[in-house]
Order: sequence, then C-alpha cells, then structure tokens
Amino acid sequence: MNPLAGLLSERLSKAQVVDGFDTESWAVCGRLPQAVVFPESEEQVAEILSLSSEEGWRCVPGGRGNWLHGGQPPQAVDVLVSSERMNDISAYEPADQFIEAQAGAGLEALESRTGKCQQWLALDPPGGERGTLGAMLAVGTAGPLQAGFGSPRDQVLGATLVTGDGRVLELGGRVVKNVAGFDVLKLVTGSWGTLGMITSVTMRLHPLPATDRSLLFKSAGAADGAELACRLAQTPLPLAAVELLVPGDGESEVGAPSPLVAVRILESLDAADEAERVVSGRSDMPPVQRLEGEKSAAIFDNVRAMEDGAELVLRLSLLPSRLPELVEMTSRLKGLYDPTEGWGMRLAAHAHAGVLRVMIAVVSRSDEAWLDRANTTLGVLRRSLEAEGGSLVISQGPPEIVDAVSAWGDLGPASLFTTGIQAAFDPAGILTRGGSPQ
Amino acid sequence: MPEPLTKELGNRLRGVVGDSWVIADPDRLLAYESDGLTAYRKTPRAVVLPRSTDEVSRVLSILSQEAVPVVPRGAGTGLSGGALADGDAVVVGTARMTDMLELDPVNRLARVQPGMINADLTIAAEPFGLYYAPDPSSQSACTLGGNVAENSGGPHCLKYGVTSRYVTGLTVVTYDGKIVEMGGFGRELGGYDLLGVFVGSEGCFGIATEIEVRLLPKPEGVRTLLAIFDRLGDAGRAVTEIMAEGLLPAALEIIDGPTIRAVEASVFAAGFPTDAEAALVVEFDGIEAGLAADVQRAVVRCREAGAREVRTADSPQERLALWQGRKKAFGAMGQIASDLLVQDATVPRSKLTEVLERISEIGIRHHLTIANVFHAGDGNLHPNILFDRSDSEELSRVERASTEIMAVCVEAGGTITGEHGVGLDKRHYMSLVHGPEELEAMRRVKAVFDPLGRMNPGKVLPDPPQAARAAP
Repeated sequence: MNPLAGLLSERLSKAQVVDGFDTESWAVCGRLPQAVVFPESEEQVAEILSLSSEEGWRCVPGGRGNWLHGGQPPQAVDVLVSSERMNDISAYEPADQFIEAQAGAGLEALESRTGKCQQWLALDPPGGERGTLGAMLAVGTAGPLQAGFGSPRDQVLGATLVTGDGRVLELGGRVVKNVAGFDVLKLVTGSWGTLGMITSVTMRLHPLPATDRSLLFKSAGAADGAELACRLAQTPLPLAAVELLVPGDGESEVGAPSPLVAVRILESLDAADEAERVVSGRSDMPPVQRLEGEKSAAIFDNVRAMEDGAELVLRLSLLPSRLPELVEMTSRLKGLYDPTEGWGMRLAAHAHAGVLRVMIAVVSRSDEAWLDRANTTLGVLRRSLEAEGGSLVISQGPPEIVDAVSAWGDLGPASLFTTGIQAAFDPAGILTRGGSPQ
Repeated sequence: MPEPLTKELGNRLRGVVGDSWVIADPDRLLAYESDGLTAYRKTPRAVVLPRSTDEVSRVLSILSQEAVPVVPRGAGTGLSGGALADGDAVVVGTARMTDMLELDPVNRLARVQPGMINADLTIAAEPFGLYYAPDPSSQSACTLGGNVAENSGGPHCLKYGVTSRYVTGLTVVTYDGKIVEMGGFGRELGGYDLLGVFVGSEGCFGIATEIEVRLLPKPEGVRTLLAIFDRLGDAGRAVTEIMAEGLLPAALEIIDGPTIRAVEASVFAAGFPTDAEAALVVEFDGIEAGLAADVQRAVVRCREAGAREVRTADSPQERLALWQGRKKAFGAMGQIASDLLVQDATVPRSKLTEVLERISEIGIRHHLTIANVFHAGDGNLHPNILFDRSDSEELSRVERASTEIMAVCVEAGGTITGEHGVGLDKRHYMSLVHGPEELEAMRRVKAVFDPLGRMNPGKVLPDPPQAARAAP
C-alpha cells in the first residue's frame, strides 16, 4: 500500500481502503486517486474527511463512479470517497409521500420500492437508473421531466452533509413546506461535492400517473424539429416533457429514425386523451408513434442514456423560444468531430427549459491543432451565448479541454460569494475543484 | 423612541431618494411599528423608500458607511415580525418599486420590481392566459419582494410548490451597496445555487431589487368541492384517503369547528352548519376532461370518511362561495377577538389528526380558544390563538401554549414554520429543529452575504451560544 492508503487504512479500521490498480476505474477527469475508500456509515465519512482536512489530502466524494468524468477537474485527487456501501433505504412513508435513503442507494432500488406503493420519484436525470441518490443531488441536473416536475432542487426535502472538516449537518427535513431558517440545502444541491459529502437524502414522491403516454412526431430535419418542439412546449396544457431528439450522424445511416419530438403526457386517462388531441392539433400532423405505459417510459429511459459513450457532452442554453437558434449554433461544432467516428454528434433538447444537450462520440484528434481548435470553438460559442443571456456548460469532456475552457462560464459578481461559501463548509479546501464551483 | 437620524445622514439619504421619501416624523413612523404580527411593536428610526436598484444601492452604501443596520420591508403583511426595526436600524421599504419591468408571454416569464403586489402580477399576466402560482392568503396586499424573502406558500402549493420553484433570477443589493445578479432563466450557471439560498433568507442577506419569475398557463378547468364533517379526525382521514387514491388536488384545506362558528358569527357567514366540526375544501385543476372523474373519486372518499354533506361547484361563482369560509376565516376571527396569534407549523400529513388533538388539549389546559385553519394536503397547520393583548396574564398563557404547540409539531417529525418564516417571533424555537452545528452553518452562510451583520439584525437565528456552551 502507498503511505497515504496505509495511513487511511490504519486510522479507519472499519472502512475498506484500496490503492494501486484497484483505483483505475475511479479516475476523476483523468486524475488517478491515491486511494479509494468505501465507508459504511456517516461517522466513517466524518472521520475520513476530518483526517483528510488535517493531513491536507484532496478528496472527491463519489457514488458508483458514474459522474467522475463530469464537472470541473480537481487539481489532484488523493482520496476518492465512495458512498457505494451506504445504500440503505432508511424510511419510506407512502402516506406522507417521502423516502429517505443513504446517499449510495441506487435510483433503481428506489424505483422498485416506491413502485409497489404506486409512487415514484418524478425525476429523470441523465445517466439512467444506475446512478445513486447522492450523486443525483450533488450534480443537481434535471432531465426532460423538469417541464412537469422541476429539478432535484425542487423535490429534495432534506439531506445529511458531512462537511469538508467532518461536521455532520442535518439539512431540511421530511415535510414539503419548511422555512425554518436559511435554505442551506439549496447550496448543497448541484455543488458537485465541493462543500462536503452527502450521506443521506430525503426526497418528495409523487403518485404514479394513471396514464403514461408518449407521442413521437417526426420532423424533416433538426431545424424543423426545434420549431416543432418550441410550438408544442407552448401548449397551455401541463405536459410532463417535450424533448427534441436528433440522432447522431452514424445512427441515421443505420436506419434509425430522423429527428423526433417526443411529448410525454402523465395524466388520468380522459385528460391524456384530451392532451393528445390538443398536441396533435398543434403539430399539424399525427404522431408517427404513440406509446403507452412501459413503452412510453422506455423512450424516456433512452433519453437518459443518450450521454452514454460520449466523450464530450455540452449543455447550451437560451430562452426556450430560441431553441431553433441553439440548434443552428451546433453547426459551429462540426470541426470538433468526425461524423464517421462512432455515432458522430447527437442532440437532445428540453424544450420547456431552453436547454440543448450536445453529445459528441469522439473528439477528433486528426492533427496537432485539435486542442486549440476545440478550445477556441467552445470559447467563442460560450461568449456568444453569454452575450445573449445564455450559457455553455461542459458537462463532461476530455480533461485537456475542460482544464483550458472550464466547465462553467464566468459567474460575474456572484463569484464574490463562492470562496466564502466554500470556506464555510470546507475550511481546509480539500474538496476544491479547479474552476467553478471553486 | 430610537434616536433620530442625524441631520447630515438624513440629508444624504434625501439626496438619493428625494425629500418626500425619507420618513423621520414620529407620527408617520407609527405606520411602520409592526407587521402582520401585531403582538410585537417597535418604531423604526427612519424609513427610506427608494425607487430603483440604483437608489437602493446608494442608500445601502450610505447606511453601510455610517454603520447603520438595515431592515428591508415590503407591504408589512409578514406574520413573524421579520420587518420590525430594532434599535438604531433604518427601514428600507420597497413600496415605490412596483413596476413590471418585462412580461414575456412566449417564454412565460416576468421581471418585476419587488414592491409589486402578488395579485397584480397575475392580473397583468391574465390577458396572455398565464398566472403566477404561489398564492399566499395575503396575496392582494403582499409584495413579491416579501414573497422572495419569506419563500411564501399558499393553498395551491400542494400541487404547484412554493416561491423558490418560481423565482428564476434576482438582482440583489448587498449591505454595502454592491449589485449582484443571481440565476436567470435560459442559462445554466456553474457555482452554488445563490438564488436558492437567497429565497427565504428573510432580508438577512440583502435586498432583492429585481425579480424574474416563471408564470404558468392558467389551468383549463377548475373544480371545487366542500365536505362537512362532524369530527375533525374524519376530515383528516378524508385528506389521507384522497392522497392515497393517487389524486393530486391543487388545494386541500380544512377549517375546524371553532373557525366555522367564528365565520358564521361574522359578516363573512358562508352558510356552514354551526354544529359541524370541520369543513374540507378540495380543489382540482388541470385538463378539463379529467376533472369530473377526479372530483367523483374525492367525493366518494369524503363520504366514506364520514362527511355528512358534500357540495360541489362548477361555476366560478359557486367556487367562490365554497372558498368564502376558508378565505375569510382570519377576518372573521378578527371580529370576535381583539388579537389573534396566527401560528404556523408543518407536520407529516399522516400525523395531522394526532397533532390537532394535542393542540386542542393545549388550548383547554391554558384556557385559550384555538381555532385551526390549515393547508391539510401538505400538513401545514395554522392554529390561531384568540386573545386580548391588554391582558398580560393571558398573553403569557398564549406564549406558553405557542411553545408547547411548536414542541408537539417538531416531535411529530415536523417543523416550526411552513410558510410564515422565523423572523423575530420564532428565533428562540430554532433550536427545537436545528442543532448547534446546523445553526452555526447558517450563521456562516449569512456572514458570506453580510459579514458585518447589518442586514435585518436579530432575526431568524438565535443569539450565538455563550463561549462556555460553544464547546462541543
């Protein structure tokens, strides 16, 4: 064992510590940790973080390792702390519509448990069901269902956070309406583990809808699809999701569908029929496919998995009415990939939110200038979006690119508070990641 | 009376906002001596009423240079004493900042000044088929800036969620006059969710001077039903059963027997039987075609739970009549008692009946009338204690009963405030729900925004523990 792993192992008799080859699957944005530790309790997490704070070891909290390529790369990783062995569902009260589980509990386990009581967690973040509850909250990203149900920040009721220096904070509670004090939980949501490690989470649940129906509309091209998605999102009815899906260059050739707009309706049967009638009327054409129940859910499960195997994932945003412009802007990314490599570039947009996800299978490294070209292209695109009130986020990408371009854009004067917030939770700075959140 | 402003400071502030908008005359200051929680009264040193972000920034910068604490104030409808100015603090009010800055119906977005009244936003959005969802009971008077400060709720947040779900961007002025933008619809920012933590910070972090909110399309249809029960517990059971059906009503509201009798004895009489012990209002909204079936299922559940009468309403006029008793409950109680303490706590829904019984026992034990009006669907209770402020012995019983009610709600897994905020009133209850580490974390977060403790001092957080108690 290397000295760090040895010391960790000695001090933490109850938690498993691995080093050497065993850490390879736990690289964070290409940085290999010196040790990976698997605590089994909140107390052990507190021990690890407080020891790391004393020793100045840089830590990255993780779950099952699905998000390690995402976000801002840390400068170095000494210890990766995985919540994988903390996966108990500690409380589920169907009558009160909440579930509380340890951070390492898988979303699939939650789904099977709540499904038995006709309830569900109405969130579909990227990555699919193999993700953990803790990672979902730490990343904070929403999927297509945000149109109908909001994002993780709107549905989290409480969480336990072990701060960088090992303090245990119980944040929020088990009830939906709760304004007892400052909403520290909001800071933790989407903080990418830079304030501490989330060890348990309490989420609000919804009743399973009587009808789950998806309508798929075909469009001639991505631009037409974007127009249609905008028009359908403006339907004055409560649609659960309106998603534009543009398959990759490679996928079209093998007979996969052309661009689609998928509309998800989660209602009672009568209401779903009515919504279908209105949506079809707005689209000027009948849907090419109409999926019900599990098949409807499956289409949107595929949307969650669209980032799988992508080397570069971008999130471009503007006001929802400008989705067609966002789609148009992706033509500027043509130099970054070779359409014949893998499936090329896929697009998926949450039409209600004005968020376009761009997934590139393989970043082209055909000549020496590839990195400069990528950095320039992304930098210019980010600046033009920011000038229009939008943004460009690199959700995951080759570390060389993220190091140079930064995962997030400039925060402006709000960055004033970033350092202070981080120091309040992680005074030794062991959880700091390169850029923002700093 | 607090010490008046020095002539020089008064002049500097007048130089920014104009002569008429710095109020220092003791008679006029009386209007600012309390908010909706009238049990507490304090006269501020002065009130400044700026008109724009720039003026707020200049006013705060001047006050900061003079080390004068600031208490932000909207319409003063808050129910936790959050807008009271203590000691040498100056009130900075948003009463003149009422402009609609932008209404974008296509993106369902509005940008407003913080002094705009909640209901006025919905009125402005209505021609476009849109509305603003959070609907606190005071919505015809309360301001959106106040709603941001309190993270306000309302009857319809059962289905639609509270203010934080609708605020997408803020322009904030900090204690020293810095102007900071937070969030913004149509962009995803890195960094921490400053917007999220600012909403609900009760004026302790800064003043929101521009607010961007999401609007919703008006529901295609609305259906309301009213069920009358002989036992409060039965009404609670009906709520549990309706939710267990997998229905998600827009609102599920209960008023109890004492409240029914207060309403019926007042000019707001709504035609409730005065021997009933609970009235349950259930409202569904959404796609028209699905509503009739939802209402039918709820009616069946109410009957099974023991409702002696169920009325349904389809037309807006009929709906208004069913809501009358619920909406006018506070006004009615004001007519039968000289003072009213409106309490606010949340419990898990399944504990409602048990907690209400214990609240009733507390009332009997302290010889107080406690009338309950509450958002049953999300377990948000409003036990209202009727009293006479001039009777100091009664007032002390009110305080003891309040403390006991809070303890009962926390013990049941709930919290000390669901929508009214902590303010001045509940800061000493904070340690019932938060440990020393959590309170310290909140202190540190406040210090990031307000390192010198100038914004709304003495609110939300209890005084830090003495050095002797601080050791873990």
